[in-house]
This record gives sequence, structure tokens and C-alpha cells, in this order.
Amino acid sequence: MSVRRKGPRATFVRVGTYALLIAVAALVVFPFIVAVSTSMKRNSDIFTYPPSLVPRAEVTVSDAERALDGNTVYDFAERDGSWVLVDDDIPLAVFAPVGGQADDVTLAADAGERTGDIMVVDGEDVFLIDVDGEAVEATRVRLTVGGLFEPIDGGDQIVELVSAATPQREFGPRFENFPQVVNEKNLGRSLTNTLLVTIAVVIGQIVTSILGGYAFARIDFKGRDKIFMLYLGSVMIPFVVLIIPLFQLMLQLDWTDNLVALIIPFVFSAYGTFLMRQFFLGIPSEIEEAALLDGASRWKILWRVMVPLARPAIAALATFGFLYAWNSFFWPLVIINSGNPDNGLLTLTLATLGGRSSTDTNLVFAGAVIAMTPPILVFLFAQRYFVENSATSGLK
Amino acid sequence: MNPGVTMAFDADHEIMAPTSASEHEPTVALHRGLTLVTLWHVLGVVAGAAMMLLARRGGDQELPGTIGVALQFFAIAAFATHAYAAYGIRTRRHHARSASLVVNYLTFVVAAVAVLHQFGAFRAIGSLGEGLNKAFIPFLVAAIGLVWILVAGQISTSRPAAKSPPALRRAGQVLVVVGSAWFVIAADPTGMFSAITDQITSPLTLASIGLAAGALVATRFMWHRDVGRLFGTTSSEERTLSGLAFLSPNLIGFLFFFAGPLVFSLIVSFFDWKTTGTSRSFVGIDNYVEALSIDFASSASANAGVEALKPGYQVLMHLDWFGQNWLIGARDVTFWLSLRNIIVFLVLAVPLSVLPALGLSSILASELPRAKIFRAIYFVPSVAGVIGVAIIWGQMFQSTVGWINYIIKRAGDILPFVDAPSEGHPWLSSNSTALLAMVIVFAWMNFGFNTVLYLAGHQAIPKDLYEAAEIDGARTWKIFRRITVPQLRNTTFYVLITTSILALQLFDIVWILSTPQPGGPDNATMTPVIALYNEAFRNNNRGYASALAWVLFIIIFGFTFAQFRRDRDAATPGGVS
Repeated sequence: MSVRRKGPRATFVRVGTYALLIAVAALVVFPFIVAVSTSMKRNSDIFTYPPSLVPRAEVTVSDAERALDGNTVYDFAERDGSWVLVDDDIPLAVFAPVGGQADDVTLAADAGERTGDIMVVDGEDVFLIDVDGEAVEATRVRLTVGGLFEPIDGGDQIVELVSAATPQREFGPRFENFPQVVNEKNLGRSLTNTLLVTIAVVIGQIVTSILGGYAFARIDFKGRDKIFMLYLGSVMIPFVVLIIPLFQLMLQLDWTDNLVALIIPFVFSAYGTFLMRQFFLGIPSEIEEAALLDGASRWKILWRVMVPLARPAIAALATFGFLYAWNSFFWPLVIINSGNPDNGLLTLTLATLGGRSSTDTNLVFAGAVIAMTPPILVFLFAQRYFVENSATSGLK
Repeated sequence: MNPGVTMAFDADHEIMAPTSASEHEPTVALHRGLTLVTLWHVLGVVAGAAMMLLARRGGDQELPGTIGVALQFFAIAAFATHAYAAYGIRTRRHHARSASLVVNYLTFVVAAVAVLHQFGAFRAIGSLGEGLNKAFIPFLVAAIGLVWILVAGQISTSRPAAKSPPALRRAGQVLVVVGSAWFVIAADPTGMFSAITDQITSPLTLASIGLAAGALVATRFMWHRDVGRLFGTTSSEERTLSGLAFLSPNLIGFLFFFAGPLVFSLIVSFFDWKTTGTSRSFVGIDNYVEALSIDFASSASANAGVEALKPGYQVLMHLDWFGQNWLIGARDVTFWLSLRNIIVFLVLAVPLSVLPALGLSSILASELPRAKIFRAIYFVPSVAGVIGVAIIWGQMFQSTVGWINYIIKRAGDILPFVDAPSEGHPWLSSNSTALLAMVIVFAWMNFGFNTVLYLAGHQAIPKDLYEAAEIDGARTWKIFRRITVPQLRNTTFYVLITTSILALQLFDIVWILSTPQPGGPDNATMTPVIALYNEAFRNNNRGYASALAWVLFIIIFGFTFAQFRRDRDAATPGGVS
């Protein structure tokens, strides 16, 4: 098409094409960047406006001479320079100058002299306060607790409401989120459980699919085609239909709230059998016939001859099985008691943790990053097999 | 042990191999073995009868189709087949060998599974999680060793001359061995063994072990070639037996965990079956009627309520149609709302995840350098895991500090026509946009997958079509319109169907993202699967929920069937099924 042409117009088209592709790629990648950055943030840093992609830490100062030990540095909208919070538990009073023209003034709670006058309108005491060297009449709006701030280079201290200041932030990822979510939020156990289930399902699916696929592809037995149609038809059945009876079956086997309920029913894969069958059909039968004439048993032929040849299909099957088992959510949600931390899976624990009442957003994101990394890595490494086979078989 | 059986063990290593023994006449050992197998079958008749009685005991509390009934059927079949096999082997009937093999094999499987079940071996698989958790680091060591060996193998095949691979491989093997040993020590499996030794004294367990062992030995003996010759087994029968043997692990699981439950589900859907109470009565199609009943009423005022409808119906929606107010009521309002939602979702989400895929795949298919990188990037959302993705998007849609609102606001600052609300819009807790948010997440997750499906479709388009068009000087757009799109017709159909089937089963995204409860706010994101989940596992209304599942299945089946019909009609290249 046009990108293969030459000339200035073609160059223009080519640049436009790449711009479009990159824009879409950005759309795909951006949420992941948000996830990674959020997973390394402090919780207070997540809920700041405007949102930021950089994990930031509050700037702090330590200076033994001035008795500062990790005190936070603040900015004020209406004052220049940086201010160190020396003490955040100072009694303060907010004064409103009489007349209502000037802004409220925050001073120490004992500041201002009582003039003895009383406001006519609402019966408030009138104080004489000092604003920039001028005495101003004001009423005391409220008493509160605030901070004592000092210029970062030293100088006169001021009192001000802490909420009027914004802490200075600088780049500072918080890697402790990851060990914290693994240890405190029980994600470690969920990770190993998910790993166990995934490995068991993948290995089981590979074994049963190889055996079944070989039987369908290479042994011409009575009733084969009918059974195969049954398998093909089963791919059309949505899992939703099976949820209730399967749950009932697990109840009778006493497998509820046990990881085995996530493994055994899923090691029999009609789809995997189909995939292996298709691959075995593509292997020339001369290879097998030669081995048969040499007196090898079918069992030996399958494992010594066919399976080594079928490595790409097995790799694809393993990738599918991995992604399916690792990411599965609905069935675990039904069968595993979410209150039992010993049987948690990554998806379940994350759903509970990041659910509607979540508080530790940074930890939730650290968990999400941990959960998403293995499937993405597996996909990137196994891409060749995976993409080819999803295109030819259409598994979702 | 009997000499005939030992012989079978020794000579049986190569089943299909022409062994020297096969050239001889049937030996004395063979006959003695057959006598033993006959006796075994007589024992099997007794065991079958015993099992029939045992399975009956627990069978009357549950609905038909449960394990007890299945076991009873199996026991009856086993009883009959054992009897036939005993008689047939004695009289050298032609089919006796096949019958004996099948019944022995199945007896072995059932008995072995029963033993494992009594040992709690299956539940013990679940407890492995604890071991793996304790021994995670040794596990990693062993896994790294395994990968190491694979990599070394790769290197040695690509560069046979290199000297280092054997050393690498050795190092990997050491890692695997050390890791595995460490793993076993760290995982501390003693608890599992103690559970097994506790159970072994139970008489039922001992009987099952005996049954499994005997059936296994008998199977191995009867499988032998010489026995086959004796009974005149044809090569076609031999093939059937091996075919079923290879298929059996798969087929047994398929029947037990798929076909059986499927039938059970259909049966349950005709019962009023609540797990809270004891009522399990057959109600015919009442569950389906309850789910699907709707009622129309015309009313004078726009605010007419339940009183205008038949009793038992609730207001589903008001319609203003040509000045006439219509009231639509349903018995299960939630389910109908979920159907309405899913149709809206389908109409929005499917084009949004298919059309970009069509466009992008057309660009990527045009021999563009670096196309594979883009293809990989676009694919990532569909493999990253829906829970993680939903959590990310939950933060993106956050009303005050979320990126979506921030970007809209910044766009509003630059572009005059973007009307950004001053307050952050609560995407997920607003009735009007909650479903739209789900559409966006769904499309974001699935367009990359569809792009790859389309790329496969592109490969099937004959290249000379494009060459001819270029010689004619056709514009890119025209080529796309006139060649690409029509040639991809089958792929498009396939992609549309698979995406629709996926969309109809929407669950996980909504489960994570909707507030304040799944399906919220005000059922604005209620989907059929969530409605089903609530009925089955919150209200414990399993019979009714099964009916909902079948209604949903029929809807999905409509799409699948369309796909199937088309596949059969047009088995042409370009379709990727």
C-alpha cells in the first residue's frame, strides 16, 4: 500500500501512519505507566491534584544545630521561599479584621489585645492585632491548632495553618510498597497459591491434551468422529452454564474452599485437545509408520517422536493455560472463601484489597503490578507461539 | 504372585512389538492367567453388587444426576460387564477380552480415585499451597536451574561447536537438584504422610486398594498381545481399544467435569431449588417463565406505577411513544435491566473493539518496519489480567484526581469546543456514565487481540489484488474500501461474533469497577452474569439461577450458531476459524 511508495507525499503519509500507531500505543501503555508509578507512590501522593506520573516524596530537612530532624518543607501560596515545619501542634487563632475588607489573619492563640469593645452586630469581642506592623481591629473567628514555620535558611518564625501550606515534593519512589503488600496484605501466600494452581493446570492440560490429541489425530477408532464432534461442541458452551452444577459437584466432593477445585476440573481441556490434534495432523505420517515398523509401541512413538516435534504447539498450549489459570477470577470467586487467607489467589486478594472500601491504594497498585508482570513477561517471551495460535484458533 | 501375571508384567513392556512369545502356541501360563482373571471377574461381580448397595445408601437426599446416582449406574454396569467377562473368558467369546479390558480399566480408575479421595489426596493438593509458600525460594532456585538447562540446550543446538553448554547444563542440573532437595526439606511434607497413614486402616480403603490393584494387574494381563490373539481380536478392535485408552484420561475428565454438570444444570433449571430451605420440587418451566415474563400497560400519566401492571410485576421502564405513555413491567426486573444493559454494552463495546482493530491491522499488515513491536504492545492489555486492568482504570476514572477528568480538563483549556465540567465528573458512580466506563475498559482490553485476528485474515488476501490496484493508481482509501474490507469479510464476521460472545458474559470488569455494589449504581451496570451470581450465591436460589444461565446460553448460542453456520457454508480462506 501507500507506505511502499516513494516521494514527499509518501514520506508525509509514513510519518502520519507512525504518528497514529504511536498514539494508539501510548493509549495502551499509559495506564500501565500510571499503574507502575502509583505502585511506587505514597498514599498521600496519589490523591493530589493535578495527578502526577512521578512518584514523589515530601522534601525534608535535617539539621542538628537547628534541632531539625526530617522536618517537612512547605510552600505557601502567598509567601516567598520555602518553610520548614518546626512544630505542628501550636494553638492558633484566626482573626477577621473589622470591616470585612481584608483577608483573615492567623496568629498565635494568645496574640492580640482585647480592646474591650464588642461588635454591635454579633456580640463578638474586638481585638487589636498586629498586621505587618500596623495595629488592626479584628474579631477572633476561631481557635485552632496549626504549625510553627521557619524559613529554610533560618530567620523569623511564623505561625500558620498547616492546611494553608503545600508540602514540597521531589522524586522519591517508595519501593517498600512491594514487600509491604506481600507481607502485610497476604499477597505472598496468594502469589504462591496462584503459582501452584497455574503450574498444575498447565502441566495437567499438556498431558491430557497430548494424549487426547494423539488419539483423535492418529488412531482411527470406532466412534472417534462422534466423540470429536462432542468436544468441538463443548467449546461453544459458555462457562456460566457450568458454574452452578460444578459448584454443587465440589460441595459433594468436599472440595470447596480448596485449591484442588481450581486445578482438577481444569486439567481436561477440550480446546487443548483440539489444538494438539490439529498439530499432530500436520506431522507427516511416514515418520510414525517408520517407527511402527521398527516395532515401537504407540506410547513410545507418541513421547519419543511426536511430542518433540510438537514443541511449538505445546508451547502455545502452555502459554494459553498459563494466562487462563493465572488470570481466572470468576470460578475462584465462587469456590474460594474470600475470608480465608490460606486459599487466596492473586486475583481474589486484589479484588478484595482494591474493592470498593480500599484504603491503601498504593499497596493495591503494588499488588496489581506484581500480578500483571508474570503474564506480560510470559506473553512477551512466548509471543511467537501465542500470537500464531490465537490467530488460527480464536481462543479468548 | 501367580506366574502368569508375572509373565504379563515382564513381557508387556512393548505392547505392539512382535515379541518372540507371540509365535508360540498359547502357553500354560497364559491359560492359568486367564483362569485367574475369570476368578477376578467373579470377585468383580460381588464387588459391583456391594458397591450398588453402598451407593444407594447416600443417594436419596440429593437430586438425580449426583455422584451417588452416577456411582449406582456405574455399579450396575460393572456388575453386568464383570459377569459377562467371567462367562466370556471361560467360553472364549470374541468380545470377552474387550469387555474385560474396559471394565477392569474403569474399575481401576474408580477404585483408585476413591482411594485417593479417602486419603484426602485431592484436598492435600490444596495444602501444597502452604508448602510452596514456605519453600518459595528453593522453588525459584530449582525453576531457574530448569530454565538454565533449557537455555543451554538452545545454545548447544544453535552453536554445536561451543564448549560451554555442557558446563552450563551441568550447573543447571546442580541447581535443580539442590533446589528440589531444599524444597522438599523446606516444604515439610510430613503432615501429608501422616494423614495418609491415618486412613490406611479403614476397611473400605483397604478394599478399594485391593480392587484398584487387582483391576490394574488384570488390565495389564488382558492387554497382552497373546491374549488378543487367543480371542481373535481384529486390528480394528485393537485400534479402538488403544484409541480409547489414549483418550481416556481426557474423556473421563470431560464427562465428569463437563458433560455431567451440563446435564445436571439443565435438570436443576426445572426445579425450585433453594439451598437455604429443603424445598426441591419440580416446577416445570416456571423458572423460565419467571425470568422472561414482561407486561405492557398503557397509562394516562407518565408516573403510573405498579398498580397498572398485573400482580407480581414490577416497573421496568416508562416509554413515551407517540404521545402515549407506556409502562413496561417485568417479574424479574433486575434480569431484564441486565439484558437491557448488556445490549447497550454490546452495541457500544463491540464496534469500539473491532473497528480500530480493522484499521490498525490494515496499517500493520502493509509491510511496515517495526510492525511487530506495535502488534505486541497492542496485545498486552488482553493478557495482563482483567483484575489488574480494572484496578488501574478505577484510578483513571477517579473523579477528583483521576487522569481521565484531568485530561478532559486540560483539553478543555486548549480546545474551545471541549466543554469540561468544572467539578470532576464521577464516571463510575454516575448512572449515565458507569456503563460507558465499562465499555471503554472492555474495548481497551480487546482491540489488540482483534487486531491480531485481523492480521491473520490479512495474510490470506492475495497480494496480486493490491499490486493490480496500485498499477491502476488507486488511492489508499479506495484500496482499503474496495479490497481490504471485502476480502476480510469472513474475519470480520468471526471477530464480531467472538467479541460479542465475550461481551455478553461481561462480569469481572463490572465486579471490580461498579459502585457501591456490583452492578451499581442503581443497576446501571447490572449484567446477566452478575444477576446470575447474585441469585445463585447470594440468594441461594440455584434452580432459578440455572434457568437464567440457560437463557443466557441460548442468547450466546445464537451468536455461536451463526458463526458455525457461516463456517460450514463458506469454508474459504480468509476465515480464521
